[in-house]
Amino acid sequence: MTARRLRTLVLIGLAALLLAVWAFPVLWALLTSFKTERDVLAYPPTVIFEPTLRNYRDVLFGSASILPNLVSSTIVAGASTLLTLVFAIPAAYALARLDLPAKRASGFYVLATQMLPPVGLIIPYYLVLQKIGGLDTYGGLIAIYLTFSLPFAIWLMVSYFEDIPREMEEAALLDRAGRLRALWYVILPQVRGGIAVTTIFVFLNAWNEFLFAVVLGGNRVRPVTVAMFNFISVEQTLWAKLAAGAMLAMAPVIVLGLLAQRHIVKGLTVGAVKGGGRT
Amino acid sequence: MRIDLSMPWLGGFAGVDNYAKMGGDPRFWHSLWLTLIYTASTVVLQVVLGLSLALLVLRIPRGQAAMRIAAILPIVLAPVVVGLFWRTLVLSPDVGLVDVVTRALGLGSHNWLGDPQLALISVIAIHTWQWTPFAFLVILASLSALSPEVFEAARIDRASAWQRFRYITLPLIRPAIVIVVIMRTMIALSAFAAIFAATGGGPGTSTEILNLYAYRTSFSELNLGYGAALAVVLLAITLAVSFVMFRVRRRAAVA
Repeated sequence: MTARRLRTLVLIGLAALLLAVWAFPVLWALLTSFKTERDVLAYPPTVIFEPTLRNYRDVLFGSASILPNLVSSTIVAGASTLLTLVFAIPAAYALARLDLPAKRASGFYVLATQMLPPVGLIIPYYLVLQKIGGLDTYGGLIAIYLTFSLPFAIWLMVSYFEDIPREMEEAALLDRAGRLRALWYVILPQVRGGIAVTTIFVFLNAWNEFLFAVVLGGNRVRPVTVAMFNFISVEQTLWAKLAAGAMLAMAPVIVLGLLAQRHIVKGLTVGAVKGGGRT
Repeated sequence: MRIDLSMPWLGGFAGVDNYAKMGGDPRFWHSLWLTLIYTASTVVLQVVLGLSLALLVLRIPRGQAAMRIAAILPIVLAPVVVGLFWRTLVLSPDVGLVDVVTRALGLGSHNWLGDPQLALISVIAIHTWQWTPFAFLVILASLSALSPEVFEAARIDRASAWQRFRYITLPLIRPAIVIVVIMRTMIALSAFAAIFAATGGGPGTSTEILNLYAYRTSFSELNLGYGAALAVVLLAITLAVSFVMFRVRRRAAVA
């Protein structure tokens, strides 16, 4: 019996260790964000120190403010999420319910766009936006974000629409409500949860995006992922400010991730689960 | 051939020059090799660690919920922020967490991202840290869905723990593992931001996977033509790999 208890203890210890490996860098950054730059460099590292809010004040309102960048990120991620939902919901409904000729092909196409490395797409995007004056504009970056968020959202929403029994809307259609009214009044309330999850994932991906932001953005449109590099240069690293900035940049996605935690697996494996061929 | 960024159409049409140049470009072959190492090692590490972890967590009586929440943390973070984090707070010499540990253990201080020998290992570790939770969560979901009766029967037949794993658990969760391998391979092939933030492809070209090479060529050396050609090669590789993987998966599903 004791051997068994010992084994359980070892297992719990191992699990706790791994928990620490995952959580520790983030907790360490949280701790660092309350230190002065001098405390950061102390060896051995101090766990007990006089906490300061100065880093947050500097990062928000000081000379190194990332407030405009947080605003930039909010505009880009917010607008692209909104537009994505407006287009993805009807598109997903059509893919789930209507008999479209190229359903399988369009399904594979949508999946393929998820798989392509963004580096392979960035040069054409750059040249096109340059030609139409879309570099460093919100419109330009939001349009590019739709290219990866729309396919993702459509795939995710299709799976939610397919979970709804067809009888529901058939009843509505018999009552001579049009397709759109049936969608609006009968189907959408049923997929409310799915829409919430989709919203969270689309926003999260847009908020975290970096490559498109750094190449297609500029001084006006500069999301917070790009602004993180403000704190780091060849000459010096502003450790505590970087940590404070990173905490601010990460706070929204951590909250969203925790809200959506039950659906994370579904969101991450969307597309692959059904493997392109729809049944 | 080079393309002027402001007037890309002035250079004329290069035909296949850019692709011909690639064959004799050692930096291209080097980056292709690094891409292969990076992709293969991160995928294998994620699957092995994620699977072991999932098996471990299933056996602890409590704390599973805490593990699930901790696993979500790295996944939702922006890879570029993760890369910066590791570059500064975790891996930088003297101040970083890892150095603090190795110094305390008497293993000395290392320049984890500045030493060409260690940099590739470091960026592989960063990717593995961030994405093992993905494998863990997907495999755990699949394991949790298995019915306990199967194992009861095997236990009565006195199958050893390894036999139970090898002949019962593994075949049952194979679809989940295949999904993880496919998705993680695709994502490793398009990895960019974390390496960009941690090393920028350096020191020298020691962490310059194909993505980084294409980016540097296009936007640091401003040679859009050759950069685009490199990116097209990467696209072709990704498409070919995904085609093969979905083929294998379909065959596995039929068998």
